[in-house]
Amino acid sequence: MRIFSKERPEIPIVHHLKADGTEWTIKEKLWLGLSIGEYKKQFFRNPVNWLMMGIFALGVPLLLQRYIYGLGAVTHASNDYPWGLFLGFGLFGMVPLSASGFMLGTTVELFGRKDFHPIERLALLNGLLGYFFAVLFLEVDLGMPWRLPYPMFVSLGPAAVLFLVAWHVATYLSVQVAEVLPAFFEWIGWLKGKRVIRKMVLGLTIAGIILSTLHQGALGALFTYAPAKVHPLWLSVNFQWIHFFCSSIFAGLSMIIISSTLIRYFMAWRCDDEFKDSLDYITIGLAKGCSYSMITYLIIKIVAVAHDQEWSYLLTGWGSYYMLELGVAVVIPMFMFAIGIRHRYVGLIRFAALIAALGIIWNRLNTALICYNWQLYQEIPHWKEVWITITIYSLYFLTYRFIVYRLPIVYGWKGEK
Amino acid sequence: MKKTVSRRNFLKGGLAGTAAVAVIQNKEAHAAQSFEGYPEGMGVLVDLTRCIGCRSCEAACNKEQELPEPAKPFDDYSVFDEIKHGQKRRTDETAYTVVNRYDVPNLDHPLFRKIQCNHCQEPACLTSCFVNAYTKTPEGAVIYNSKVCVGCRTCMIACPFYIPTFKYSSAFDPRIMKCVFCYDTRLKDGKPPACVEACPQEALTFGRRNDLINMGRQRIRETPGKYVEHIYGEKEVGGTAWMYISSVPFDQVGFDTHVPKEPILNSVKDFLAIVPMVLTIWPGLFVGFHLLATRKEKIKEQEKEDKEGQV
Amino acid sequence: MQARKRIMQTALAIAIGGVLIAPAQIWSMDAEDAPESVTIDSLVNLYTGVEFDHAMHVDYASCQECHHHTTGGEVVNPNCARCHSTSGEADEVTCTGCHATDRFNETYIRTLEAPELYHIDKPGLKGAYHLNCISCHETTSGPTGCQDCHTMTDAGEKMFYTGKYSPAKGHSAPGH
Repeated sequence: MRIFSKERPEIPIVHHLKADGTEWTIKEKLWLGLSIGEYKKQFFRNPVNWLMMGIFALGVPLLLQRYIYGLGAVTHASNDYPWGLFLGFGLFGMVPLSASGFMLGTTVELFGRKDFHPIERLALLNGLLGYFFAVLFLEVDLGMPWRLPYPMFVSLGPAAVLFLVAWHVATYLSVQVAEVLPAFFEWIGWLKGKRVIRKMVLGLTIAGIILSTLHQGALGALFTYAPAKVHPLWLSVNFQWIHFFCSSIFAGLSMIIISSTLIRYFMAWRCDDEFKDSLDYITIGLAKGCSYSMITYLIIKIVAVAHDQEWSYLLTGWGSYYMLELGVAVVIPMFMFAIGIRHRYVGLIRFAALIAALGIIWNRLNTALICYNWQLYQEIPHWKEVWITITIYSLYFLTYRFIVYRLPIVYGWKGEK
Repeated sequence: MKKTVSRRNFLKGGLAGTAAVAVIQNKEAHAAQSFEGYPEGMGVLVDLTRCIGCRSCEAACNKEQELPEPAKPFDDYSVFDEIKHGQKRRTDETAYTVVNRYDVPNLDHPLFRKIQCNHCQEPACLTSCFVNAYTKTPEGAVIYNSKVCVGCRTCMIACPFYIPTFKYSSAFDPRIMKCVFCYDTRLKDGKPPACVEACPQEALTFGRRNDLINMGRQRIRETPGKYVEHIYGEKEVGGTAWMYISSVPFDQVGFDTHVPKEPILNSVKDFLAIVPMVLTIWPGLFVGFHLLATRKEKIKEQEKEDKEGQV
Repeated sequence: MQARKRIMQTALAIAIGGVLIAPAQIWSMDAEDAPESVTIDSLVNLYTGVEFDHAMHVDYASCQECHHHTTGGEVVNPNCARCHSTSGEADEVTCTGCHATDRFNETYIRTLEAPELYHIDKPGLKGAYHLNCISCHETTSGPTGCQDCHTMTDAGEKMFYTGKYSPAKGHSAPGH
């Protein structure tokens, strides 16, 4: 992209009008203002696209196999481990990493911290896509994906935790669509729509907090259905929902640090100066949020061990693994965040964010897979299951990039006021 | 004037966002009440001292439920040596019930244990199901409706006995496969399930659950030393319709003796209790935060307006 | 309340039994009174009937071991003796006389609710046979396998997927 933007001042598109005063059509906007030849050229120049094509070349046939021959064809079809990677990673991992939307929405809209405004839209988009793809992972995993609306409209089981998750994720997904819509309206040039959403923004934000608190917590509470199965160190009947909710805070913030870093360095042409200039300052601010929520999380993790009288478990092999998880995924990044904030080492913060995000995925996989059925045996996912998971995640990456390339997420749309 | 409008808009948005969940709250509170099971519910008392491992129950179940042909004949006892992932045989999409052999130390003969759905009084599968696919019938059976199931497999997570299995082999008609107490074909007409009828040893005694508890107690009391003094399933996970008595401690014959003595739902109630709290407190709390956080800006705006008005 | 009543009744029975120590032998039946053999064929659906050689079994076991207290012999089991030490020969000594062929029949199950009933746990006929026969055969090295006593019928082989209905070799169940 960089090569084109040097040659042609109107690229990247930030305005409805071209240099010659005529309007960009939607089609032209979709092609980023490039000719198809130019678009192809930049597409094939990018090694990431080749990697993606490699993943899809095998991933798509595997997905077809899953939908034609059933889940048993691509997974180990375990009755002991009913939830595998699609949910363990796709749902339980993606959802906390997408808590960024409500976190930044709250910070900017509710607490009036306008200094975080440049990253708000990225956080909202990160949230929206994360949830959308979590649902997509669910669609791959569900035995009967075409029945997804059943819990809403056909047969209701309102006393179930999953009912809460379903409704809240569905509602919150709509809330997030509404929150991201202004960027879309600016891009297509429909200002009235943007104004309508603007009026609702505070309500949407508060709905976002409520729904997020409940469904992030509910994902944890799902495991309280298995008090005799999940290892006691990873399951605290009383605190599980708080653990999941609290860890989603730094997970979401870390994810947005990672995402903004990638965009800043690999998509610099798309960022405006406000985004670029304020990113270090914002990153440090986000790091503060991370370190606070991490220390809170660490404390309630320890409180849970104390509350359930589980100290003796810490001396077992599982206990060592537990402490390894807490140490590597929480304590180390927490200190890295703290040092980074104190000495303004933004690079260190970004590295800490990567560890924290991977740490959350690790924690969710531990809960859903590795330490689930700790008394039976450990299930190693089928390679096809792993590949499909990577395929869906790649699709997430591509969609994310597709939108950030186009909509005013990390740049301000010009020519409105 | 402008301010009030925006606040009303906010309230509307907030209500819209929470309208859906407000309905749920009520029903959750209702479902959170405890349920002790239907008084007339039927059950089965399994006496481990009587079972000889003939697998007649497995064969009868296969026939009654029209399950697929087994890999080995039902009179092939080599299946007792089958080990997968270090585990003995379990139920799967081809078998709703399975008998396993246990060689107990210091016992001159093996013991056999039949597993199938225990038909809990307050089933975890039922309470965890978000499409209400499960029903506990007044006759005591926990039955399943495949027509509404979406295949999320939470019931398999929730079942403390690892009973529900999934028809992974099917892409277009996958469903939960589990023992239904022969509800449709027998129980609802007052007949015992096929396995009970097939058992030559009457290791399976079918009857009203309340009577079975008395029977179990009588057997334990009147043959001192024969049984351990416990009816597994009388209290486990809030009580099950299928109960067991054994001559050796239950953990030696594959039972999970660490399952809670109360319904699985009880461990979820902590979370369910916070739902109404969050729904009611959060909106007010965060509006308060918002007003506090933006107070200075508002004052500034007001001053600005006032000045402009004076000019 | 029910339990208390039952205890009272039992206590009464024991008390009376204690006073009237009757010479039980006088009323007891003799092995010669019994039939030479009995045809057991309540399960003929899956297995062929069993021709039970009663005369032969008389050499192995006392009457009470199978007939409990009904033949009038000395009641050995102290639990049974609480009521039956003096009850003498019963009108009905056949297995079917006491053990229901349809043990789990709804109406039969209803009768178990009678509060004064002691025998709430009486096995059905099939259970009674097998429980009694197999446990004794185990100690006396008698036949214990299913087909040692009765051969499987065609219907039985079909249900058990055995004999000519055996699953094809190499066939394995779907799933994992």
